[in-house]
Amino acid sequence: MISAIYQFALTTGANRVVRGARIEHVCGDPGLGPDKDYAYGMRIVTTALEAIATPVTGPTLFDPLASGSAAEPAHVC
Amino acid sequence: MSAALRVVHYLNQFFAGIGGEEHAHVGVSVRDGAIGPGRALQNVLGETATITATIVCGDNFASERPDEAAEAVSAHLRRVAPHVVVAGPAFGSGRYGLACGRVCLAAKALGIPAVTAMEPDNPGAVSFRKQVVIVPTGESSTSMAPALEHLARLALTLGRGEPLGPAEVAGYLPQGNRRVWDRGRPGYQRALDMLLAKLHDRPFVTEVPYNAPEKIVPAAPVRDLTRATIAMVTTGGLVRKGNPDHQVSASATRYHRHSVRELESLTPEGWEAYHAGYFNHIVNRNPNYILPLSFLRDLEGKGRIGGVHEWIYALPGVSTPVAVATRLGEGIARDLSAAGVDGCLLVAT
Repeated sequence: MISAIYQFALTTGANRVVRGARIEHVCGDPGLGPDKDYAYGMRIVTTALEAIATPVTGPTLFDPLASGSAAEPAHVC
Repeated sequence: MSAALRVVHYLNQFFAGIGGEEHAHVGVSVRDGAIGPGRALQNVLGETATITATIVCGDNFASERPDEAAEAVSAHLRRVAPHVVVAGPAFGSGRYGLACGRVCLAAKALGIPAVTAMEPDNPGAVSFRKQVVIVPTGESSTSMAPALEHLARLALTLGRGEPLGPAEVAGYLPQGNRRVWDRGRPGYQRALDMLLAKLHDRPFVTEVPYNAPEKIVPAAPVRDLTRATIAMVTTGGLVRKGNPDHQVSASATRYHRHSVRELESLTPEGWEAYHAGYFNHIVNRNPNYILPLSFLRDLEGKGRIGGVHEWIYALPGVSTPVAVATRLGEGIARDLSAAGVDGCLLVAT
């Protein structure tokens, strides 16, 4: 599950939770401009794909901004 | 004793005295009167009710051929036409608990009130507690005596056609129903009493019990993303532009699925958000924020995923009660599972 209110998703029992950008734009951030917006959205989606390919035993947070992926880190203003 | 209520009792092969696991395959049969724990139940029921027959079925038969068993039980119930059916107690026994639940459902379908008893975590209680009156018991038959007393009390009430009180008062597992009920004292007094009790470390009973969220066993990970078909679901209120399906913006009771087979991305010309719980305008300019089709097509083109599932699912996830949301989620999950989807991304606003 990709959600900006990820804490709520975790406490209600979602097992693979990906930290989204904001409620109004979960997969990306228009404030970053088109290129970085797309890169950030892609980072969120690829983190979600990594999440569903990762074994978990209970509610687990996958944070696109914290992961050590090779993609350029997006900065949230 | 023409005024006595007629009770039919249901037992498994073990409590009926046929035998243990080696006899769990026996089919449905009927005995006259009370047998096994039914005799003790009869004692507690007293003279106002008589166990006229006992229906017996092996636990394996009941769980492996549930429809056949239910049909046979229904046929006997139609013939005996009791005022009330009592099943069990099943205690911690899973197959027996499920069988007792199904027997009560079969009785209910015939307009006959029914009650059973089992341990609250018994799969039968987990499956049927909302439809069936279930008295909580301990894990084993050491709690037989209090269970039978409790069963008898509720059976008499139901058999007379009288309504049961609230679950917390009458002592059965809560069924999730809300009814108007006069507690006698206004809410502010009860709330202040509870607060005082809490501050003074005295016991109190909440009127708004906390329902812990259901624990879901995590799905096994996708083994190979490059060969996986990935589906997308959103609770962000995605609709086709102009909302031609007339989806609501809150308290949804249905979801819609749409084909994206021909689409590379969700455009503002074709899609928008209709959701009462957040500011929709940003998504209306780029609907991929709540359903990341453009990203998955990109990854599909690069071979990072096997493919994008043709159907997307959408509803506004706001103000829908958990029970309704559960039903909707199960419907979507059933579809995706039947379609052979390997993984799913759910975007929640």
